[in-house]
Amino acid sequence: MRSNLTTTAKVYLAIVFVILYAPIFYLIFYSFNSGGTMSSFESFTLEHYKAVFNDNRLLVILINTTIVALLSALIATMIGTLGAIGIVSMSNKKMRRTLLSLNNILIVSPDVVIGASFLILFTMVGIQLGFTSVLISHIAFSIPIVVLMVLPKLFEMNTNLIDAALDLGANRRDVLTRVILPYIKPGIFAGFFMALTYSLDDFAVTFFVTGNGFSTLSVEIYSMARAGISLTVNAISGLVFVVTVGIVVMYYLITKRTRKSGEV
Amino acid sequence: MANDTIIRFDNVTKSYNSNTTVLKGVSFELERGKFYTLLGPSGCGKTTILRIIAGFEAPTTGDVFINSKRVNNVPANERQVNTVFQDYALFPHLNVFENVAFGLRIKKVKEAEIKARVAEALKFVNLAGYENREITEMSGGQRQRVAIARAIVNDPEVILLDEPLSALDLKLRTEMQYELRELQQRLGKTFIFVTHDQEEALAMSDEIFVLNEGNIQQSGTPVDIYDEPINRFVADFIGESNIVDGVMLEDYKVQFAGKVFDCVDGGMKQNEKIEVVIRPEDLHLTTPAAGKITVRVDTQLFRGVHYELSTYDKDGNEWLVHSLKQAEVGAQVGLDFDPEAIHIMRLNETEEEFDARIEAYTNEV
Repeated sequence: MRSNLTTTAKVYLAIVFVILYAPIFYLIFYSFNSGGTMSSFESFTLEHYKAVFNDNRLLVILINTTIVALLSALIATMIGTLGAIGIVSMSNKKMRRTLLSLNNILIVSPDVVIGASFLILFTMVGIQLGFTSVLISHIAFSIPIVVLMVLPKLFEMNTNLIDAALDLGANRRDVLTRVILPYIKPGIFAGFFMALTYSLDDFAVTFFVTGNGFSTLSVEIYSMARAGISLTVNAISGLVFVVTVGIVVMYYLITKRTRKSGEV
Repeated sequence: MANDTIIRFDNVTKSYNSNTTVLKGVSFELERGKFYTLLGPSGCGKTTILRIIAGFEAPTTGDVFINSKRVNNVPANERQVNTVFQDYALFPHLNVFENVAFGLRIKKVKEAEIKARVAEALKFVNLAGYENREITEMSGGQRQRVAIARAIVNDPEVILLDEPLSALDLKLRTEMQYELRELQQRLGKTFIFVTHDQEEALAMSDEIFVLNEGNIQQSGTPVDIYDEPINRFVADFIGESNIVDGVMLEDYKVQFAGKVFDCVDGGMKQNEKIEVVIRPEDLHLTTPAAGKITVRVDTQLFRGVHYELSTYDKDGNEWLVHSLKQAEVGAQVGLDFDPEAIHIMRLNETEEEFDARIEAYTNEV
């Protein structure tokens, strides 16, 4: 594809991206600073990264965050995918629209509201704040995202494919496992990775529902940043950024591969 | 009797939401091993009949029998019937081999047998060696064949084809007509083919059912339907035809266009009002003196194999003529035709009455 952008457009685009990425690179740059502050760069060091890996507490939090992200994304993907299939196969149009609207409201409603309402719910029901409460709330806010990612694939699917499968002797379970799920696989992957990133970087909801002794990375970074300037924060942020880029690249590769074989 | 009958519809109706009726009491019997075509304009109910046979839809009233077994409540996946869909409905996430193998895998057939049967089915449709291709890499005609292979590999008793040629270009479509007909004869299976294309229907079928507005208008061999259309709709829908009002004076004497002609039809009341059909290719151009009716040439189109003339007689009836010879626009010409070319249609005659009448007056002779 040839780019038809004018020079002004290119410059504008470059400025926008520099502004967007500059703070992140500034932060990562100072994570290698031996000086201990972000005001002047003294010399290159990896000691802040060492500090991260030597801090057992931080490592536990890192593992917690990953486990919560993976588990919540997995469970939300399962529930969300089945939910999306259910919504699409509804014959009542009005009901379907209502459910879709309810789904979208959950996505746009502020995290603070969701977090606060979960806090109230958990205290009412009597669930101990900690791993379980964080996991449940992460699953809950990820489900609508998965539904939204899976729906387009389902809508674009030719319903004759289902008839064809039935015609060839498939029962309802065969139709689901051999036709629908393989067809919407790219959407499911997209939903899973979206849920993963949402869970990884969630601060507001987690902040409300996390209890003593359990914390995730974003909450921890927040409290570290509040406690005072430490370049360890920079080092962690740098690591998180690298992991995020890794996930994006992985997602890109997967969708590129499935798109090659999934198009008709 | 019923031994050769594979599918029977007994007064089947189909309605949606209690106000749209798609089928209004359809009854027919289909014999094993023949090529049937359901022909009609869009919305006539032909696809609905197919979907009821396949089991995707249940009749509102009436009964459907496959192999003398009532199947009204048998779901699609338990019927010995396979469908070739209009858009082929091939699974895009599977390659050619896996698409064809789908039905066998569901039935848990052994791997070695699957391999052999898929290879055989692909050979049948001239796609041997295409096993590992992706569906995206196949052309329209090839996809069509994959869809057919996917249906025949399961060894069904009946194969349903829902306008499978409509997405192909003209040349390929004609080619596939030959192939389908040949395939059906080699397999010896019952094919039920749905189309709105009368040429397709005439070329391929053992028997055609002409449908309109949820009713079967006429059924019969292509020649019967073409030569003896039962009413205006069938005459109009199958091929080009000239239809004029006339009066049946007595057996074998008909009056139209202001003259009396000999014809070969009978069995009607004296002086009964009827409609006359003459096919454009049965009209021959001649001089006004030698012709049975005189007409003026209005327009002329060159169609390749013949010229198509639109002509008018002095009463203003239009006569479409297919002629190998060119005529002059605006000229007066004569039209000649044989008594056999005249076909008489009684108004509102049903198929049963038509058959009974033909039988009655041919026995007389």
